[in-house]
Amino acid sequence: MTRKTIWHFTFVSLIIGFMLAVQFQTSQEPDVRDTRDIWEIRRDLQKEQELHKQLLNEIRKYEETLEKYEQQRSENKGAILRQTVEELKKEAGLTEVVGEGVVLYIEQMYDESYVGPVSDTISADLLRRLINELNMYGAEHISIADQRLVNTTVIRDINGVTKVDSYPLRSFPIEIKVITPDAEKMYNRLKASTIADDFALENLLLTVSEPQQRVVISPYDGAVRVKQMEAVEEARR
Amino acid sequence: MWLPLLGLLLGILLGLLTDWRIPSEYSSYLSIAVLAAFDTLIGGIRAHLQNIYDEHVFVSGFFFNIILATSLAFLGVHLGVDLYLAAVFAFGVRLFQNIAVIRRILLTKWLENRQKNRL
Repeated sequence: MTRKTIWHFTFVSLIIGFMLAVQFQTSQEPDVRDTRDIWEIRRDLQKEQELHKQLLNEIRKYEETLEKYEQQRSENKGAILRQTVEELKKEAGLTEVVGEGVVLYIEQMYDESYVGPVSDTISADLLRRLINELNMYGAEHISIADQRLVNTTVIRDINGVTKVDSYPLRSFPIEIKVITPDAEKMYNRLKASTIADDFALENLLLTVSEPQQRVVISPYDGAVRVKQMEAVEEARR
Repeated sequence: MWLPLLGLLLGILLGLLTDWRIPSEYSSYLSIAVLAAFDTLIGGIRAHLQNIYDEHVFVSGFFFNIILATSLAFLGVHLGVDLYLAAVFAFGVRLFQNIAVIRRILLTKWLENRQKNRL
């Protein structure tokens, strides 16, 4: 067998091998199967049902509002509209809110024998995690160091300083106020949660105050910019 | 002699490592192409053993067979007739024939060698 022939065979078998491997991988591709067991399916079903209920409630609420609009259109056009605006403002965090809730304090926690770098800020990831946890437990209004959290609030690390929107968190303790419909429940859930351990890993101490009857959260002080929205044609008429 | 086998292994390894996947609707084309390539390879080995090997025939046959087979499959898909079966059939039959011929040649050689050794 000449050298050239061997090279031809090698080349051809290389291509065949490659095609075989690709074909093999293509046919091996696992199709996505439903591997949930009956409990998981039940749980998912329950979740969907809850969502369904919630949506129905919302539909009912809007239908009521619509009815009110229709009824009072002639008499006092403005009042309902103003009420809606107030409601929306409250939801968007543009008004001061007072209600029962809990107050959380984040402090530094270094024991006396500690030597090493001391961090003077809290990481954005940890703070976001805490906020997610609070939301999960039913928080309605939250402020961090008197900065109201709204839908567009960003918590991020800019040049090593964690900022809420544009307010830097530089000094401890950081006060987080939370308003919730059931402060007792929130308190208990926070007590049971492992989030304090996550804080301890960063040498921070998370303390949760006893449920308070009156927590005041100041309004969002920035301007809410709406970039990607416009009025529907019909509504203008 | 071992180089082609090494090439095959290298190709498989390369294919597995690159993690390429083709869309599943094209996988029939690829399987046809693999079959055609195999046919050419086996045909080449047979021709070599029969001393009628021609490198131009081999290399051109390799690409031409692949292209012909896939275009036949393509035509079949568009006509709604399973034309790729024609390619599968043709290549399959040829594959078996060629392998049979190779087997016979190798067997004859082996028997001859044994007889020589005995003498």
